Amino acid sequence: MKTFRANLHVHTALSPCADDAMTPPALAEAAVVAGLDLIAVCDHNTADNVAAVQAAAGAAVAVIAGMEVTTSEEVHVVGLFPDVAAAGAAGAAVGATLPESAGDTTAYGDALLMDAGGQVLGKAARVLSAASGFSLEATVALIHAHGGLAVAAHVDRPSFSVTSQLGLFPEGLRFDAIEISAAGVRAGRDAAFAGLGFPMITGSDAHFLCEVGAGQTTFEMDTLTLAEIALTLRGAGGRRCYFA
Amino acid sequence: MNLKEMVDALGLEVLTAEGMAADGPDLEGGYASDLLSDVLAHAPQHGVLVTVQVHMNVVAVSVHAGLAGVIFALGRKPDAAAQARAAEEGIALFASEEPAFDLVGKLYALGLRGSV
Repeated sequence: MKTFRANLHVHTALSPCADDAMTPPALAEAAVVAGLDLIAVCDHNTADNVAAVQAAAGAAVAVIAGMEVTTSEEVHVVGLFPDVAAAGAAGAAVGATLPESAGDTTAYGDALLMDAGGQVLGKAARVLSAASGFSLEATVALIHAHGGLAVAAHVDRPSFSVTSQLGLFPEGLRFDAIEISAAGVRAGRDAAFAGLGFPMITGSDAHFLCEVGAGQTTFEMDTLTLAEIALTLRGAGGRRCYFA
Repeated sequence: MNLKEMVDALGLEVLTAEGMAADGPDLEGGYASDLLSDVLAHAPQHGVLVTVQVHMNVVAVSVHAGLAGVIFALGRKPDAAAQARAAEEGIALFASEEPAFDLVGKLYALGLRGSV
């Protein structure tokens, strides 16, 4: 068993609300500087910058292919996928339900597609800041159908969370974990969610480079794979995870 | 004004008619929000909610908040499972093609208030 430090929720410049300085090489470097072994790239409603971050990171830090889906109820759900192809397929399904974008700079900022060197390849063809056509239940099912893990994002926050949008945690939702924000962990807000019975992780939801090192979860497991993360969330074979 | 009188006045489609007797109790207020955490915290007891939020949790939150009914605006409708749950829980559900702003304006003119 080894110990890995993870931040399973970071954005790139492809997220309209994220800083344009969140380029693939800058993000990879920030992760290394922060002492992270693992990050998950989770842009809003797309996985199209994940491969560039993986290429930029090389062997320095492992990069999980993720996506942060905005459900039709405007709940944020993080999907963590086994590979770029799976994330891309789920991202295409989500993207098809979003309004088309004229590529203009909006009040939310630009949505920049980049290569591994951080060069801008273009802008997203869809309005990534919009709510998708997938309900919360359909989003969890979509993520699972593509072999992913579904994580309820920043459940302690007063916007875009299960609790803010829906008041109560719906019955029967098959989340693989719930995420407590970095600020929520510092304030001890995780205690209020312990009774739900879901494994808890934290992530920084980094939109700026300076946030990449915040919100670390430590995983004690065998290897850096999504399958191992899934086993760890279930506590299999003595594996465990905790707020770093 | 009770639920039956509200339905007649606004021309609402009735999805579930729980508690909608002609001699039913008067509504005591109204609320408009799509954030169910907000509804839970601020909606008045035995009031009516106007919303475009159609997730199943509307029913659970309405029970917790003690609401009498919910009007879904802009042609939105909760699914069959949510409607069945509302019938079980005694929450009346209605639908309208009108936007929430217009529905709330009419309810206000009929005497309902958000702060009671």
